[in-house]
Amino acid sequence: MRGHGFLLANYVPGNSFIHRSPLALKFLLVFACGLASFLVVDWGVSLAVLAALCGLFLLTGAGPKRLGRVVRPLFPVLLVIGLFQWWQLGAPTAGRIVLNILVCVVAASLLTATTPVQRILDGVVAAATPFQRFGADPERFALTIGVMLRSIPYIAGTFADVRDSARARGLERNPRALVLPVFITSVAYARQTGEALAARGLGDAGDDGPGD
Amino acid sequence: MPVVAFDQVTVTVETDHSPTPKVLLDGVNLRLAERRVGIIGANGSGKSTLLRLVNGLIQPTAGKVAVDGDDTVRAVRKVRRSVGFVFTDPLSQLVMPTGREDVELSLRRSVRNGRERQAMAEAALDHLGLLPLADQSIYELSGGERQLMALAAVLAVNPSVLVLDEPSTLLDLRNRELLRHTLGGLEQQVIMSTHDLELALDMDRVLVIENGTVAFDGAPADAVAFYRALCLDGMRHPTGPATGPGTP
Repeated sequence: MRGHGFLLANYVPGNSFIHRSPLALKFLLVFACGLASFLVVDWGVSLAVLAALCGLFLLTGAGPKRLGRVVRPLFPVLLVIGLFQWWQLGAPTAGRIVLNILVCVVAASLLTATTPVQRILDGVVAAATPFQRFGADPERFALTIGVMLRSIPYIAGTFADVRDSARARGLERNPRALVLPVFITSVAYARQTGEALAARGLGDAGDDGPGD
Repeated sequence: MPVVAFDQVTVTVETDHSPTPKVLLDGVNLRLAERRVGIIGANGSGKSTLLRLVNGLIQPTAGKVAVDGDDTVRAVRKVRRSVGFVFTDPLSQLVMPTGREDVELSLRRSVRNGRERQAMAEAALDHLGLLPLADQSIYELSGGERQLMALAAVLAVNPSVLVLDEPSTLLDLRNRELLRHTLGGLEQQVIMSTHDLELALDMDRVLVIENGTVAFDGAPADAVAFYRALCLDGMRHPTGPATGPGTP
């Protein structure tokens, strides 16, 4: 498994003002960008926001290469979405939708590139703690987010591997040869991850209990 | 050393193509108290099933498995705190994007303080010489480095028993030697399945598993000789029952 399909940037140690910004503020930025993608109707605004976010990303010291690695795997999907929307709704709407997706990905990468995963998980635990009285387990919540962050590049990497093996067999135009193996591998990965977490005693109900 | 005890353990699974359940392990009785225990056998012989029982990942259909007296079904959480498990493929085990984060994840359950957790993770990584690789993406590590990283994540919580399921299968010679050297220096009781007979010779006691039963149990050199004879016999009589030079 190549696992090169980074969709979100890994943490890059640094001391930029974004690194030092409170986690809640960064969470809020990601949330606001997600919300704005539904509300903004002008592609020019989306472009300006994207440019600002890219500027912030470069200010973190993570570098343009890392930014490229974040957005490059999206290009084929964005191309398909963009062409479809252009055909259905016209160029301005297509441009706005594509730009808004990029805004969300770059905003999320800004968070993951400047915050260690453990701090993100601590933040999730803190945010979920009030729900404990309703039976929610904050640690499980955090574990779910952690597993999700790890699974995205794995599945993207699996897709790249499957595409290469389909190409080697001359089946690159057969959607079944692409989709089915990725689906089966993803299910197997989910099972393996579950087993690995169970073996480490992570995610058990009432983790911090005294034991049986 | 902890004692891992198998008492008349049978594991069966339902299959689609047979009306009777398939027997993975059949009435196994064992008491493992040695520091290094190796398990060898053909693919599908029941090695992984045996190992998964120790951590409670599989429950016996009949019989009982206990680690230091704790039943792996009834006291599974306690057992998992004392039994670490390393899988063949470290990529399916490492859950976080970097080694440091994965080791810290192991510690989340027991250490609530973030700074303390960080320090303990650093110590665990440093112990295996992995600190320079701690912040690299797990995809950028070599197979051996990933396997050692998975080992560090398991050892961080200081288990008393370490179970490894064919840990050297995906490794090249250099990484295998690195792993072998690391395992040799561990204080924990190690129970490991392997196809690597040289690695099996490093153990204190080796079991040969064949068709869900313990076909041989004894000194490493004798066990490896028995297994070789078993394989050769199987090649000469591929459909007949496998027999070796004798069991103790």
